[in-house]
Amino acid sequence: MKGKKLKTGEIENALNRFLKDEQHLVLGFKKDESGVSHHIFKGSLDHYSLLNPVFGANAALYLRRLFSKGSQVMLMLRPCEIRACVELNKLTQIEREDIIAVSIDCPGTVSSKEKKEEVPAELHELNDYFKNKDSMRWACSVCGEKRAVVGDAGIRIDEKGNYWAIPYTEKGEVLLSLIDGEPEEVPAELLAAKEQKKDKFQVDMEIFNKDFEKCIMCMNCRDMCPVCYCIDCVFNGDEYLPKGDALLNKVFRIGSVKMPRGKDLFHFIRMYHVSQTCVGCGACEEACPQGIPLTKYFKGVSERLQDIFSYMSGRSFDEPIPYVTFLEDELKDATD
Amino acid sequence: MTDEAKEKNPEIVGFACSYCTFKASEMAGSLRMKYPEGVKLIQVPCSSRVDPAFVIKAVFEGADGVFVAGCHPGDCHFIKGNYYTRRKIVALKEMFDAFSMKEKLRLFWVSAAEARRFIDKVTTFYNDIKEKKNEREKA
Repeated sequence: MKGKKLKTGEIENALNRFLKDEQHLVLGFKKDESGVSHHIFKGSLDHYSLLNPVFGANAALYLRRLFSKGSQVMLMLRPCEIRACVELNKLTQIEREDIIAVSIDCPGTVSSKEKKEEVPAELHELNDYFKNKDSMRWACSVCGEKRAVVGDAGIRIDEKGNYWAIPYTEKGEVLLSLIDGEPEEVPAELLAAKEQKKDKFQVDMEIFNKDFEKCIMCMNCRDMCPVCYCIDCVFNGDEYLPKGDALLNKVFRIGSVKMPRGKDLFHFIRMYHVSQTCVGCGACEEACPQGIPLTKYFKGVSERLQDIFSYMSGRSFDEPIPYVTFLEDELKDATD
Repeated sequence: MTDEAKEKNPEIVGFACSYCTFKASEMAGSLRMKYPEGVKLIQVPCSSRVDPAFVIKAVFEGADGVFVAGCHPGDCHFIKGNYYTRRKIVALKEMFDAFSMKEKLRLFWVSAAEARRFIDKVTTFYNDIKEKKNEREKA
């Protein structure tokens, strides 16, 4: 694999070169007094930060229905955010021409809820900070794909702390052409490694009910989910939830029901609807005011469901989402 | 019907494709074959019309079991509808399995001529569910 080694400040220079064009934008992270946050840069970079140690929202959320009519956005984001963008591209929410998706190796993040002290944004400090596993967000500590191997290009970090830009598609070459220097062979040993397979997710309804006891049906998890994109969600209004006589009917059929009504229904349907596109970023858990362990369920279920079709959300732009395609000769034991 | 008898009978919701399974159920009717009263069929234009959300809603609103039934793969009136059904329902079963409630959902292929098969499938499903339900009642 060929790539270009990045000298200090080189990525900023490259992006500034990219921004010289009126129609070009960069979506990345900005570091200022209040911390590191998502920022769209136009014209030139200003307090740019390659890494963001705090997870607030998934940036793919801001890119829904992006039809930019000629302008182009360079996305300099975490792998989970790029994967969500790739999924949104397949769901026709983002046009392929409008973006150059560049993923950056992710050392892990801290939850914006639990952030107490100042978190460093430099790589070596951050690695020290995450030596203590508890300081990392749960979703990040179980993340199986922190490597920047998705999108058009990736910024990888080798063991010595050097940054490498590696193109994966033709669009990725655009970024490479802006960087000074000749392409060289990338070292095989890079910092973020592929993680081992974990056990299958398995719970039962008792555990589910216990975990979701606190749910108040605010639907923040749906609103902040980067891939839950429907304009007309089935849960807009309460058409899908039992109410009035339907609620009483339900109570008479299955016994006492915990209020607010229909939260099991809501979470199950949402879990199924995002099952093939869920990237396991944990934005839902981040948005939950009640601190429900949503990532455990959404990530666990989606991994199981994606495994059936050997699919991984956001892995490539060309792989179709399993539910919109089929093979004639498959799933022989589907019926009972 | 006494209360006791009522409690023991499960309710099953079935989504039946109007070109095959629903026709099979009509044929079963005209042949005077019987299937359990607790089975409620819902006619859908094609089995792929069934959004898994319908199944989930049926389960959480009190159905003891849900089945989705359509034409045999390759025989779909809309050419390829049931291939999509197969993928969707297999995924949904896997999800139900993750929550240890796999037995609540079944998928059958029944063609319009297979009235006997329809009765068999539905009755077995009904009896399995009934057995489980009564076991739980006792415990």
